[in-house]
Amino acid sequence: MAAIAAQRMTESETRTEYLDRFKPRLMDWSAARVFMMKNLVIALRYPTNVLIWGLIPILWLAPYLLMMTAVAGPGTSEHFAEISGFNDFLTFAVIGWFVYRYIDTSIWSVGNNFRWEQFSGTLEPLFVTPVPWISILVGAAFSDTIQTTVSAFILLGMCTLLFGVSYAATMILPVIIVMLLMVLGLYGFSFMLAGMILVFKDPSVLTELISTAVFTVSPVNYPLQVLPTGVAFAAFLIPSTTAIIVIRELAITGIFQPLAFLQSIALLLGLVLFFWVLGVGAFKYAEKWTKTKGSIGGF
Amino acid sequence: MTTAKTEGIFEKMMEREGPRAEFRAATALAIKTWKVELSYPLSVLYFIVSPFLWFIPYLLVGSAVAGTPTSAVFGTLAGTTDWVSYVAIGNAFSALALSIFWGTGNTFRREQNTGTLETLLTTPMKNATLVWGQMLHNMQHGGLGVILQLTFSVLFFGVTINAWGILPSLAIVALAIVGMQGVVFAMTCVVLLAKQGWMIIEVIGSSLMLVAPISYPIAVLNPILQYVAVSSPLTWSVESFRNFLMYGLMAPGILESIVVLAILDVIFISVGSVLFKHTDRYVRSQGALSEF
Repeated sequence: MAAIAAQRMTESETRTEYLDRFKPRLMDWSAARVFMMKNLVIALRYPTNVLIWGLIPILWLAPYLLMMTAVAGPGTSEHFAEISGFNDFLTFAVIGWFVYRYIDTSIWSVGNNFRWEQFSGTLEPLFVTPVPWISILVGAAFSDTIQTTVSAFILLGMCTLLFGVSYAATMILPVIIVMLLMVLGLYGFSFMLAGMILVFKDPSVLTELISTAVFTVSPVNYPLQVLPTGVAFAAFLIPSTTAIIVIRELAITGIFQPLAFLQSIALLLGLVLFFWVLGVGAFKYAEKWTKTKGSIGGF
Repeated sequence: MTTAKTEGIFEKMMEREGPRAEFRAATALAIKTWKVELSYPLSVLYFIVSPFLWFIPYLLVGSAVAGTPTSAVFGTLAGTTDWVSYVAIGNAFSALALSIFWGTGNTFRREQNTGTLETLLTTPMKNATLVWGQMLHNMQHGGLGVILQLTFSVLFFGVTINAWGILPSLAIVALAIVGMQGVVFAMTCVVLLAKQGWMIIEVIGSSLMLVAPISYPIAVLNPILQYVAVSSPLTWSVESFRNFLMYGLMAPGILESIVVLAILDVIFISVGSVLFKHTDRYVRSQGALSEF
Protein backbone atom coordinates (compact mmCIF):
# COMPACT_ATOMS: atom_id res chain seq x y z
CA MET A 1 0.00 0.00 0.00
CA ALA A 2 2.77 2.34 0.97
CA ALA A 3 4.55 1.65 -2.29
CA ILE A 4 1.39 2.42 -4.31
CA ALA A 5 0.88 5.66 -2.36
CA ALA A 6 4.49 6.65 -2.98
CA GLN A 7 4.12 5.92 -6.67
CA ARG A 8 0.94 8.02 -6.87
CA MET A 9 2.73 10.83 -5.06
CA THR A 10 5.58 10.69 -7.57
CA GLU A 11 3.14 10.72 -10.48
CA SER A 12 1.26 13.75 -9.15
CA GLU A 13 4.55 15.54 -8.52
CA THR A 14 5.82 14.93 -12.03
CA ARG A 15 2.58 16.05 -13.74
CA THR A 16 3.08 19.45 -15.23
CA GLU A 17 0.51 22.17 -15.79
CA TYR A 18 0.79 21.50 -19.53
CA LEU A 19 -0.18 17.86 -19.08
CA ASP A 20 -3.11 18.83 -16.83
CA ARG A 21 -4.49 21.19 -19.43
CA PHE A 22 -3.57 18.96 -22.37
CA LYS A 23 -6.34 18.01 -24.76
CA PRO A 24 -5.65 16.15 -28.01
CA ARG A 25 -5.88 18.47 -31.01
CA LEU A 26 -5.17 18.31 -34.68
CA MET A 27 -2.32 20.81 -34.84
CA ASP A 28 0.05 22.43 -32.32
CA TRP A 29 1.83 25.37 -33.98
CA SER A 30 3.99 25.98 -30.94
CA ALA A 31 5.34 22.41 -31.16
CA ALA A 32 5.92 22.85 -34.90
CA ARG A 33 7.96 26.00 -34.21
CA VAL A 34 10.01 24.28 -31.48
CA PHE A 35 10.69 21.31 -33.75
CA MET A 36 11.66 23.59 -36.61
CA MET A 37 14.11 25.44 -34.36
CA LYS A 38 15.55 22.15 -33.10
CA ASN A 39 16.22 20.99 -36.67
CA LEU A 40 17.69 24.36 -37.66
CA VAL A 41 20.03 24.35 -34.64
CA ILE A 42 21.28 20.89 -35.68
CA ALA A 43 21.63 22.07 -39.30
CA LEU A 44 23.70 25.07 -38.18
CA ARG A 45 26.12 22.66 -36.50
CA TYR A 46 26.82 21.21 -39.98
CA PRO A 47 26.98 24.29 -42.25
CA THR A 48 28.83 22.35 -44.94
CA ASN A 49 25.72 20.21 -45.43
CA VAL A 50 23.77 23.21 -46.74
CA LEU A 51 26.69 24.28 -48.93
CA ILE A 52 27.26 20.79 -50.31
CA TRP A 53 23.56 20.44 -51.18
CA GLY A 54 23.94 23.59 -53.24
CA LEU A 55 26.95 22.19 -55.12
CA ILE A 56 26.27 18.45 -55.49
CA PRO A 57 23.21 18.94 -57.75
CA ILE A 58 25.57 20.54 -60.29
CA LEU A 59 27.26 17.13 -60.56
CA TRP A 60 23.84 15.59 -61.24
CA LEU A 61 22.71 18.28 -63.65
CA ALA A 62 25.94 18.45 -65.66
CA PRO A 63 25.68 14.94 -67.21
CA TYR A 64 22.30 15.84 -68.72
CA LEU A 65 23.63 19.11 -70.11
CA LEU A 66 26.71 17.38 -71.52
CA MET A 67 24.59 14.67 -73.08
CA MET A 68 22.32 17.28 -74.68
CA THR A 69 25.43 18.99 -76.06
CA ALA A 70 26.85 15.70 -77.36
CA VAL A 71 23.60 14.69 -79.07
CA ALA A 72 22.46 18.05 -80.44
CA GLY A 73 25.46 20.35 -80.42
CA PRO A 74 25.99 23.32 -78.09
CA GLY A 75 23.01 25.30 -76.71
CA THR A 76 19.98 24.29 -78.68
CA SER A 77 18.39 22.09 -81.32
CA GLU A 78 15.59 22.59 -83.77
CA HIS A 79 13.59 19.72 -82.33
CA PHE A 80 13.97 20.93 -78.76
CA ALA A 81 12.85 24.46 -79.67
CA GLU A 82 9.87 23.04 -81.53
CA ILE A 83 8.53 20.87 -78.69
CA SER A 84 9.47 23.02 -75.70
CA GLY A 85 9.03 26.53 -77.07
CA PHE A 86 12.44 27.52 -75.66
CA ASN A 87 15.66 27.95 -77.58
CA ASP A 88 18.29 27.32 -74.93
CA PHE A 89 18.23 23.96 -73.14
CA LEU A 90 20.78 25.12 -70.55
CA THR A 91 18.50 27.88 -69.27
CA PHE A 92 15.58 25.47 -69.52
CA ALA A 93 17.20 22.75 -67.40
CA VAL A 94 18.84 24.94 -64.74
CA ILE A 95 15.55 26.53 -63.61
CA GLY A 96 14.01 23.05 -63.62
CA TRP A 97 16.72 21.81 -61.24
CA PHE A 98 16.29 24.89 -59.04
CA VAL A 99 12.63 24.01 -58.47
CA TYR A 100 13.39 20.28 -58.29
CA ARG A 101 15.53 20.87 -55.16
CA TYR A 102 12.27 21.47 -53.25
CA ILE A 103 10.71 18.27 -54.57
CA ASP A 104 13.80 16.31 -53.62
CA THR A 105 13.71 17.74 -50.10
CA SER A 106 10.03 16.98 -49.64
CA ILE A 107 10.75 13.34 -50.51
CA TRP A 108 14.12 12.77 -48.82
CA SER A 109 13.95 15.01 -45.77
CA VAL A 110 10.34 15.56 -44.74
CA GLY A 111 9.07 12.17 -45.87
CA ASN A 112 11.93 10.41 -44.10
CA ASN A 113 11.87 12.57 -41.00
CA PHE A 114 10.70 9.90 -38.56
CA ARG A 115 13.16 7.41 -39.98
CA TRP A 116 16.07 9.81 -39.34
CA GLU A 117 14.78 10.33 -35.80
CA GLN A 118 14.78 6.55 -35.42
CA PHE A 119 18.41 6.33 -36.56
CA SER A 120 19.32 9.09 -34.10
CA GLY A 121 17.58 7.17 -31.29
CA THR A 122 15.12 10.01 -30.63
CA LEU A 123 11.99 8.51 -32.18
CA GLU A 124 10.54 7.03 -29.00
CA PRO A 125 10.90 10.27 -26.94
CA LEU A 126 9.14 12.10 -29.77
CA PHE A 127 6.29 9.63 -29.85
CA VAL A 128 5.59 9.99 -26.14
CA THR A 129 5.66 13.80 -26.36
CA PRO A 130 2.08 15.03 -25.93
CA VAL A 131 1.85 16.85 -29.27
CA PRO A 132 0.18 15.78 -32.51
CA TRP A 133 2.61 14.02 -34.84
CA ILE A 134 1.51 16.22 -37.71
CA SER A 135 2.93 19.29 -35.94
CA ILE A 136 6.31 17.53 -35.76
CA LEU A 137 6.15 16.91 -39.50
CA VAL A 138 5.13 20.51 -40.20
CA GLY A 139 8.06 21.73 -38.07
CA ALA A 140 10.44 19.47 -40.01
CA ALA A 141 8.98 20.69 -43.29
CA PHE A 142 9.52 24.37 -42.35
CA SER A 143 13.15 23.84 -41.36
CA ASP A 144 13.85 21.79 -44.48
CA THR A 145 12.26 24.47 -46.68
CA ILE A 146 14.55 27.12 -45.18
CA GLN A 147 17.66 24.97 -45.74
CA THR A 148 16.57 24.03 -49.26
CA THR A 149 16.01 27.67 -50.19
CA VAL A 150 19.61 28.46 -49.23
CA SER A 151 20.91 25.41 -51.18
CA ALA A 152 18.72 26.13 -54.22
CA PHE A 153 20.01 29.71 -54.44
CA ILE A 154 23.61 28.49 -54.14
CA LEU A 155 22.87 26.12 -57.04
CA LEU A 156 21.28 28.89 -59.11
CA GLY A 157 24.18 31.24 -58.37
CA MET A 158 26.79 28.63 -59.29
CA CYS A 159 24.97 27.77 -62.53
CA THR A 160 24.79 31.46 -63.42
CA LEU A 161 28.55 31.68 -62.97
CA LEU A 162 29.43 28.39 -64.68
CA PHE A 163 26.96 28.30 -67.55
CA GLY A 164 26.11 31.99 -67.92
CA VAL A 165 22.35 31.44 -67.60
CA SER A 166 20.15 34.40 -66.62
CA TYR A 167 16.48 34.88 -65.72
CA ALA A 168 13.98 37.75 -65.56
CA ALA A 169 14.33 39.31 -62.09
CA THR A 170 11.14 41.33 -62.66
CA MET A 171 9.09 38.14 -62.32
CA ILE A 172 10.29 37.48 -58.77
CA LEU A 173 6.91 38.17 -57.09
CA PRO A 174 4.75 35.82 -59.18
CA VAL A 175 7.54 33.22 -58.99
CA ILE A 176 7.52 33.44 -55.17
CA ILE A 177 3.72 33.04 -55.10
CA VAL A 178 3.88 29.92 -57.26
CA MET A 179 6.80 28.53 -55.24
CA LEU A 180 4.91 29.02 -51.96
CA LEU A 181 1.88 27.16 -53.26
CA MET A 182 4.08 24.39 -54.66
CA VAL A 183 5.92 24.00 -51.35
CA LEU A 184 2.58 23.84 -49.49
CA GLY A 185 1.36 21.15 -51.89
CA LEU A 186 4.60 19.24 -51.47
CA TYR A 187 4.15 19.27 -47.69
CA GLY A 188 0.93 17.26 -48.14
CA PHE A 189 2.77 14.95 -50.56
CA SER A 190 5.60 14.41 -48.07
CA PHE A 191 3.18 13.68 -45.19
CA MET A 192 1.81 10.88 -47.31
CA LEU A 193 5.36 9.57 -47.83
CA ALA A 194 6.10 9.84 -44.11
CA GLY A 195 3.07 7.63 -43.48
CA MET A 196 4.25 5.11 -46.07
CA ILE A 197 7.72 5.00 -44.51
CA LEU A 198 6.17 4.37 -41.07
CA VAL A 199 4.49 1.31 -42.56
CA PHE A 200 7.16 -0.01 -44.96
CA LYS A 201 10.20 1.09 -42.89
CA ASP A 202 13.04 0.72 -45.42
CA PRO A 203 13.37 4.37 -46.48
CA SER A 204 16.21 3.97 -48.94
CA VAL A 205 14.27 1.77 -51.33
CA LEU A 206 10.85 3.40 -51.10
CA THR A 207 12.31 6.88 -51.24
CA GLU A 208 14.59 6.02 -54.17
CA LEU A 209 11.67 4.49 -56.02
CA ILE A 210 9.39 7.48 -55.52
CA SER A 211 12.17 10.00 -56.04
CA THR A 212 13.31 8.48 -59.35
CA ALA A 213 9.74 8.05 -60.60
CA VAL A 214 8.85 11.66 -59.75
CA PHE A 215 12.06 12.91 -61.37
CA THR A 216 11.34 10.92 -64.53
CA VAL A 217 7.84 12.34 -65.04
CA SER A 218 8.72 15.90 -63.96
CA PRO A 219 9.64 18.41 -66.68
CA VAL A 220 13.04 19.14 -65.12
CA ASN A 221 15.40 18.45 -68.04
CA TYR A 222 12.89 17.96 -70.84
CA PRO A 223 9.40 19.22 -71.69
CA LEU A 224 6.38 17.02 -70.91
CA GLN A 225 5.86 16.60 -74.66
CA VAL A 226 8.47 13.83 -74.77
CA LEU A 227 6.46 11.69 -72.35
CA PRO A 228 3.65 9.38 -73.51
CA THR A 229 0.27 11.17 -73.24
CA GLY A 230 -0.98 9.16 -70.25
CA VAL A 231 2.25 9.70 -68.29
CA ALA A 232 2.26 13.42 -69.14
CA PHE A 233 -1.28 13.71 -67.78
CA ALA A 234 -0.32 11.79 -64.60
CA ALA A 235 2.62 14.17 -64.15
CA PHE A 236 0.16 16.97 -63.42
CA LEU A 237 -0.95 15.09 -60.31
CA ILE A 238 2.41 15.97 -58.74
CA PRO A 239 2.13 19.48 -57.26
CA SER A 240 5.46 20.56 -58.68
CA THR A 241 4.76 19.89 -62.37
CA THR A 242 2.49 22.92 -62.89
CA ALA A 243 4.84 25.01 -60.76
CA ILE A 244 7.94 24.10 -62.81
CA ILE A 245 6.15 24.97 -66.07
CA VAL A 246 4.80 28.32 -64.78
CA ILE A 247 8.03 29.35 -63.05
CA ARG A 248 10.10 28.45 -66.11
CA GLU A 249 7.78 30.45 -68.39
CA LEU A 250 7.90 33.49 -66.11
CA ALA A 251 11.63 33.35 -65.38
CA ILE A 252 12.80 32.77 -68.95
CA THR A 253 10.37 34.88 -70.99
CA GLY A 254 9.75 37.59 -68.39
CA ILE A 255 6.18 37.88 -69.70
CA PHE A 256 3.29 37.91 -67.21
CA GLN A 257 -0.07 36.74 -68.55
CA PRO A 258 -2.68 37.40 -65.84
CA LEU A 259 -5.33 34.93 -67.03
CA ALA A 260 -2.93 32.01 -67.49
CA PHE A 261 -1.28 32.85 -64.16
CA LEU A 262 -4.62 32.87 -62.30
CA GLN A 263 -5.57 29.55 -63.88
CA SER A 264 -2.30 28.04 -62.68
CA ILE A 265 -2.83 29.45 -59.19
CA ALA A 266 -6.34 27.93 -59.08
CA LEU A 267 -4.94 24.56 -60.17
CA LEU A 268 -2.16 24.74 -57.58
CA LEU A 269 -4.66 25.67 -54.82
CA GLY A 270 -6.74 22.64 -55.77
CA LEU A 271 -3.63 20.44 -55.61
CA VAL A 272 -2.60 21.89 -52.23
CA LEU A 273 -6.04 21.06 -50.82
CA PHE A 274 -6.03 17.61 -52.39
CA PHE A 275 -2.55 16.71 -51.14
CA TRP A 276 -3.14 18.01 -47.62
CA VAL A 277 -6.33 15.97 -47.27
CA LEU A 278 -4.63 12.93 -48.81
CA GLY A 279 -1.34 13.42 -46.92
CA VAL A 280 -2.82 14.01 -43.47
CA GLY A 281 -5.36 11.21 -44.02
CA ALA A 282 -2.68 8.75 -45.17
CA PHE A 283 -0.37 9.69 -42.31
CA LYS A 284 -3.13 9.33 -39.70
CA TYR A 285 -4.04 5.93 -41.12
CA ALA A 286 -0.39 4.81 -41.12
CA GLU A 287 0.06 6.06 -37.55
CA LYS A 288 -2.98 4.09 -36.38
CA TRP A 289 -1.87 1.01 -38.34
CA THR A 290 1.65 0.97 -36.91
CA LYS A 291 0.38 1.61 -33.38
CA THR A 292 -2.08 -1.28 -33.68
CA LYS A 293 0.66 -3.57 -35.03
CA GLY A 294 3.10 -2.33 -32.40
CA SER A 295 5.72 -1.78 -35.09
CA ILE A 296 6.51 1.90 -34.63
CA GLY A 297 10.06 1.48 -33.32
CA GLY A 298 10.84 -1.60 -35.44
CA PHE A 299 13.40 -1.58 -38.22
CA MET B 1 27.71 -28.94 -25.40
CA THR B 2 30.70 -29.40 -23.12
CA THR B 3 33.06 -26.54 -22.38
CA ALA B 4 35.95 -28.42 -23.98
CA LYS B 5 33.96 -28.87 -27.18
CA THR B 6 32.99 -25.16 -27.31
CA GLU B 7 36.57 -24.12 -26.71
CA GLY B 8 37.62 -26.43 -29.50
CA ILE B 9 35.24 -24.68 -31.93
CA PHE B 10 36.49 -21.25 -30.84
CA GLU B 11 40.10 -22.32 -31.25
CA LYS B 12 39.35 -23.63 -34.71
CA MET B 13 37.64 -20.34 -35.57
CA MET B 14 40.57 -18.28 -34.32
CA GLU B 15 43.05 -20.42 -36.22
CA ARG B 16 41.28 -20.08 -39.54
CA GLU B 17 43.35 -18.13 -42.05
CA GLY B 18 44.35 -18.01 -45.69
CA PRO B 19 42.62 -16.79 -48.85
CA ARG B 20 40.08 -19.65 -48.82
CA ALA B 21 38.90 -18.78 -45.31
CA GLU B 22 38.66 -15.10 -46.20
CA PHE B 23 36.73 -15.92 -49.37
CA ARG B 24 34.26 -17.99 -47.35
CA ALA B 25 33.81 -15.09 -44.95
CA ALA B 26 33.27 -12.67 -47.85
CA THR B 27 30.69 -15.04 -49.38
CA ALA B 28 28.87 -15.28 -46.04
CA LEU B 29 28.76 -11.46 -45.88
CA ALA B 30 27.42 -11.23 -49.43
CA ILE B 31 24.68 -13.77 -48.63
CA LYS B 32 23.85 -11.92 -45.41
CA THR B 33 23.32 -8.68 -47.38
CA TRP B 34 21.10 -10.49 -49.90
CA LYS B 35 19.00 -11.83 -47.02
CA VAL B 36 18.64 -8.34 -45.51
CA GLU B 37 17.65 -6.82 -48.86
CA LEU B 38 15.18 -9.56 -49.70
CA SER B 39 13.49 -9.25 -46.31
CA TYR B 40 12.10 -5.89 -47.49
CA PRO B 41 9.52 -6.62 -50.24
CA LEU B 42 9.93 -3.15 -51.73
CA SER B 43 13.65 -3.80 -52.20
CA VAL B 44 12.86 -6.57 -54.64
CA LEU B 45 10.49 -4.35 -56.63
CA TYR B 46 13.02 -1.52 -56.66
CA PHE B 47 15.81 -3.86 -57.71
CA ILE B 48 13.78 -4.89 -60.76
CA VAL B 49 12.61 -1.45 -61.87
CA SER B 50 15.58 0.73 -60.91
CA PRO B 51 17.79 -0.02 -63.93
CA PHE B 52 14.98 1.18 -66.23
CA LEU B 53 14.12 4.17 -64.07
CA TRP B 54 17.73 5.38 -64.13
CA PHE B 55 18.03 5.00 -67.86
CA ILE B 56 14.70 6.51 -68.96
CA PRO B 57 15.50 10.17 -68.06
CA TYR B 58 18.60 9.99 -70.29
CA LEU B 59 16.58 8.48 -73.10
CA LEU B 60 14.00 11.26 -72.74
CA VAL B 61 16.67 13.96 -72.69
CA GLY B 62 18.18 12.56 -75.88
CA SER B 63 14.77 12.32 -77.53
CA ALA B 64 13.95 15.91 -76.56
CA VAL B 65 17.02 17.30 -78.30
CA ALA B 66 17.55 14.82 -81.14
CA GLY B 67 14.02 13.78 -82.07
CA THR B 68 15.37 10.55 -83.65
CA PRO B 69 17.48 7.60 -82.40
CA THR B 70 20.47 8.82 -84.42
CA SER B 71 22.42 12.05 -84.40
CA ALA B 72 25.06 13.25 -86.83
CA VAL B 73 26.60 15.56 -84.20
CA PHE B 74 26.95 12.60 -81.86
CA GLY B 75 28.54 10.60 -84.67
CA THR B 76 31.37 13.10 -85.09
CA LEU B 77 32.14 13.02 -81.36
CA ALA B 78 31.57 9.36 -80.45
CA GLY B 79 32.20 7.51 -83.68
CA THR B 80 28.62 6.21 -83.82
CA THR B 81 25.40 8.02 -84.68
CA ASP B 82 23.36 5.52 -82.61
CA TRP B 83 23.19 7.52 -79.37
CA VAL B 84 20.51 5.25 -77.88
CA SER B 85 22.76 2.15 -77.87
CA TYR B 86 25.73 4.23 -76.69
CA VAL B 87 23.79 5.68 -73.74
CA ALA B 88 21.95 2.44 -72.88
CA ILE B 89 25.16 0.38 -72.58
CA GLY B 90 26.97 3.18 -70.74
CA ASN B 91 24.12 3.55 -68.27
CA ALA B 92 23.91 -0.19 -67.68
CA PHE B 93 27.55 -0.13 -66.64
CA SER B 94 27.04 2.95 -64.48
CA ALA B 95 24.38 1.06 -62.48
CA LEU B 96 27.08 -1.45 -61.54
CA ALA B 97 29.56 1.30 -60.66
CA LEU B 98 27.01 3.14 -58.51
CA SER B 99 26.10 -0.05 -56.70
CA ILE B 100 29.78 -0.68 -55.95
CA PHE B 101 30.65 2.89 -54.92
CA TRP B 102 27.64 3.40 -52.66
CA GLY B 103 27.02 -0.11 -51.43
CA THR B 104 30.64 -0.94 -50.68
CA GLY B 105 32.05 2.49 -49.82
CA ASN B 106 29.54 2.89 -47.04
CA THR B 107 29.84 -0.63 -45.59
CA PHE B 108 31.31 0.37 -42.22
CA ARG B 109 28.85 3.20 -41.69
CA ARG B 110 25.85 1.05 -42.55
CA GLU B 111 26.90 -1.73 -40.20
CA GLN B 112 27.48 0.92 -37.54
CA ASN B 113 23.97 2.34 -38.06
CA THR B 114 22.40 -1.08 -37.67
CA GLY B 115 24.53 -1.83 -34.60
CA THR B 116 26.40 -4.80 -36.13
CA LEU B 117 29.82 -3.23 -36.71
CA GLU B 118 31.39 -4.35 -33.44
CA THR B 119 30.17 -7.92 -33.93
CA LEU B 120 31.70 -8.03 -37.40
CA LEU B 121 34.96 -6.47 -36.25
CA THR B 122 35.41 -9.12 -33.57
CA THR B 123 34.77 -11.90 -36.09
CA PRO B 124 38.08 -13.65 -36.83
CA MET B 125 38.56 -12.33 -40.35
CA LYS B 126 40.54 -9.49 -41.90
CA ASN B 127 38.85 -6.09 -41.87
CA ALA B 128 39.40 -5.76 -45.61
CA THR B 129 37.30 -8.91 -46.04
CA LEU B 130 34.33 -6.94 -44.73
CA VAL B 131 34.78 -4.55 -47.67
CA TRP B 132 35.46 -7.39 -50.16
CA GLY B 133 32.33 -9.25 -48.97
CA GLN B 134 30.20 -6.21 -49.58
CA MET B 135 31.90 -5.77 -52.95
CA LEU B 136 31.01 -9.37 -53.82
CA HIS B 137 27.37 -8.69 -53.01
CA ASN B 138 27.26 -5.43 -54.95
CA MET B 139 28.95 -7.09 -57.90
CA GLN B 140 26.15 -9.68 -57.98
CA HIS B 141 23.45 -7.08 -57.31
CA GLY B 142 24.79 -4.56 -59.82
CA GLY B 143 25.63 -7.29 -62.34
CA LEU B 144 22.05 -8.54 -62.35
CA GLY B 145 20.96 -4.91 -62.80
CA VAL B 146 23.21 -4.61 -65.87
CA ILE B 147 21.68 -7.76 -67.38
CA LEU B 148 18.13 -6.51 -66.66
CA GLN B 149 18.79 -3.07 -68.13
CA LEU B 150 20.48 -4.39 -71.27
CA THR B 151 17.69 -6.92 -71.83
CA PHE B 152 15.11 -4.15 -71.39
CA SER B 153 16.99 -1.87 -73.79
CA VAL B 154 17.29 -4.57 -76.44
CA LEU B 155 13.62 -5.56 -76.16
CA PHE B 156 12.04 -2.10 -76.00
CA PHE B 157 14.45 0.43 -77.47
CA GLY B 158 16.02 -1.42 -80.35
CA VAL B 159 19.50 -1.47 -78.84
CA THR B 160 21.68 -3.94 -80.73
CA ILE B 161 24.36 -5.97 -78.99
CA ASN B 162 27.13 -7.91 -80.70
CA ALA B 163 26.91 -11.46 -79.29
CA TRP B 164 30.66 -12.01 -79.78
CA GLY B 165 31.37 -9.20 -77.38
CA ILE B 166 29.41 -10.57 -74.41
CA LEU B 167 32.15 -12.81 -72.94
CA PRO B 168 34.98 -10.27 -73.40
CA SER B 169 32.76 -7.59 -71.85
CA LEU B 170 32.43 -9.80 -68.75
CA ALA B 171 36.22 -9.93 -68.56
CA ILE B 172 36.21 -6.13 -68.67
CA VAL B 173 33.74 -6.11 -65.73
CA ALA B 174 36.23 -8.24 -63.77
CA LEU B 175 39.07 -5.81 -64.58
CA ALA B 176 36.85 -2.83 -63.77
CA ILE B 177 35.99 -4.24 -60.35
CA VAL B 178 39.66 -4.38 -59.36
CA GLY B 179 40.14 -0.69 -60.17
CA MET B 180 36.89 0.33 -58.56
CA GLN B 181 37.76 -1.62 -55.42
CA GLY B 182 40.82 0.65 -55.13
CA VAL B 183 38.52 3.68 -55.24
CA VAL B 184 36.18 2.02 -52.74
CA PHE B 185 39.06 1.36 -50.31
CA ALA B 186 39.88 5.08 -50.46
CA MET B 187 36.21 5.96 -49.87
CA THR B 188 36.08 3.58 -46.89
CA CYS B 189 39.09 5.38 -45.40
CA VAL B 190 37.17 8.66 -45.55
CA VAL B 191 34.13 7.03 -43.93
CA LEU B 192 36.34 5.63 -41.16
CA LEU B 193 37.98 8.99 -40.51
CA ALA B 194 35.14 11.45 -41.12
CA LYS B 195 32.24 9.14 -40.14
CA GLN B 196 29.71 11.22 -42.14
CA GLY B 197 31.45 10.01 -45.29
CA TRP B 198 28.37 10.07 -47.53
CA MET B 199 29.34 13.55 -48.66
CA ILE B 200 32.74 12.41 -49.87
CA ILE B 201 31.33 9.27 -51.47
CA GLU B 202 28.74 11.39 -53.27
CA VAL B 203 31.33 13.90 -54.48
CA ILE B 204 33.92 11.27 -55.56
CA GLY B 205 31.30 8.97 -57.07
CA SER B 206 29.45 11.73 -58.93
CA SER B 207 32.72 13.30 -60.13
CA LEU B 208 34.00 9.99 -61.54
CA MET B 209 30.62 9.46 -63.21
CA LEU B 210 30.67 12.99 -64.61
CA VAL B 211 34.02 12.54 -66.37
CA ALA B 212 33.32 8.95 -67.50
CA PRO B 213 31.96 8.42 -71.01
CA ILE B 214 28.65 6.99 -69.76
CA SER B 215 26.09 9.10 -71.66
CA TYR B 216 28.45 11.21 -73.76
CA PRO B 217 31.97 10.92 -75.15
CA ILE B 218 34.69 12.69 -73.17
CA ALA B 219 35.26 14.95 -76.18
CA VAL B 220 32.45 17.23 -74.86
CA LEU B 221 34.36 17.83 -71.60
CA ASN B 222 36.76 20.73 -71.22
CA PRO B 223 40.49 19.84 -71.58
CA ILE B 224 41.21 19.71 -67.82
CA LEU B 225 38.30 17.33 -67.21
CA GLN B 226 39.47 15.23 -70.15
CA TYR B 227 42.82 14.73 -68.39
CA VAL B 228 40.99 13.68 -65.21
CA ALA B 229 38.85 11.32 -67.30
CA VAL B 230 41.77 9.44 -68.83
CA SER B 231 43.30 8.81 -65.40
CA SER B 232 40.12 7.18 -64.07
CA PRO B 233 39.69 3.39 -64.39
CA LEU B 234 35.94 3.95 -64.79
CA THR B 235 36.50 5.76 -68.09
CA TRP B 236 38.45 2.88 -69.65
CA SER B 237 36.08 0.29 -68.15
CA VAL B 238 32.96 1.88 -69.65
CA GLU B 239 34.68 2.47 -72.98
CA SER B 240 35.96 -1.14 -73.30
CA PHE B 241 32.69 -2.66 -72.03
CA ARG B 242 30.64 -0.68 -74.55
CA ASN B 243 33.06 -1.22 -77.45
CA PHE B 244 32.92 -5.00 -76.99
CA LEU B 245 29.14 -5.02 -76.79
CA MET B 246 28.68 -2.70 -79.79
CA TYR B 247 31.43 -3.90 -82.12
CA GLY B 248 32.37 -7.38 -80.87
CA LEU B 249 35.94 -8.73 -80.76
CA MET B 250 37.24 -6.34 -83.40
CA ALA B 251 36.23 -3.23 -81.44
CA PRO B 252 38.33 -0.16 -82.35
CA GLY B 253 41.15 0.70 -79.93
CA ILE B 254 40.19 -2.14 -77.58
CA LEU B 255 43.73 -3.41 -76.95
CA GLU B 256 44.93 0.02 -75.87
CA SER B 257 41.92 0.40 -73.53
CA ILE B 258 42.57 -2.97 -71.88
CA VAL B 259 46.28 -2.26 -71.33
CA VAL B 260 45.57 1.17 -69.82
CA LEU B 261 42.82 -0.30 -67.62
CA ALA B 262 45.15 -3.05 -66.36
CA ILE B 263 47.84 -0.47 -65.48
CA LEU B 264 45.32 1.76 -63.70
CA ASP B 265 43.97 -1.30 -61.84
CA VAL B 266 47.42 -2.06 -60.42
CA ILE B 267 47.91 1.57 -59.34
CA PHE B 268 44.44 2.02 -57.82
CA ILE B 269 44.24 -1.29 -55.96
CA SER B 270 47.76 -0.88 -54.55
CA VAL B 271 47.22 2.68 -53.36
CA GLY B 272 43.70 1.87 -52.07
CA SER B 273 44.85 -1.21 -50.12
CA VAL B 274 47.77 0.63 -48.51
CA LEU B 275 45.52 3.56 -47.58
CA PHE B 276 42.94 1.23 -46.07
CA LYS B 277 45.53 -0.71 -44.08
CA HIS B 278 47.04 2.45 -42.59
CA THR B 279 43.69 4.13 -41.91
CA ASP B 280 42.33 1.01 -40.23
CA ARG B 281 45.41 0.81 -38.01
CA TYR B 282 45.25 4.54 -37.19
CA VAL B 283 41.53 4.51 -36.34
CA ARG B 284 42.01 1.44 -34.15
CA SER B 285 44.92 3.07 -32.32
CA GLN B 286 42.70 6.06 -31.63
CA GLY B 287 39.92 3.76 -30.37
CA ALA B 288 37.57 5.56 -32.75
CA LEU B 289 36.39 2.68 -34.91
CA SER B 290 32.84 2.54 -33.62
CA GLU B 291 32.41 6.23 -32.77
CA PHE B 292 29.66 8.23 -34.45
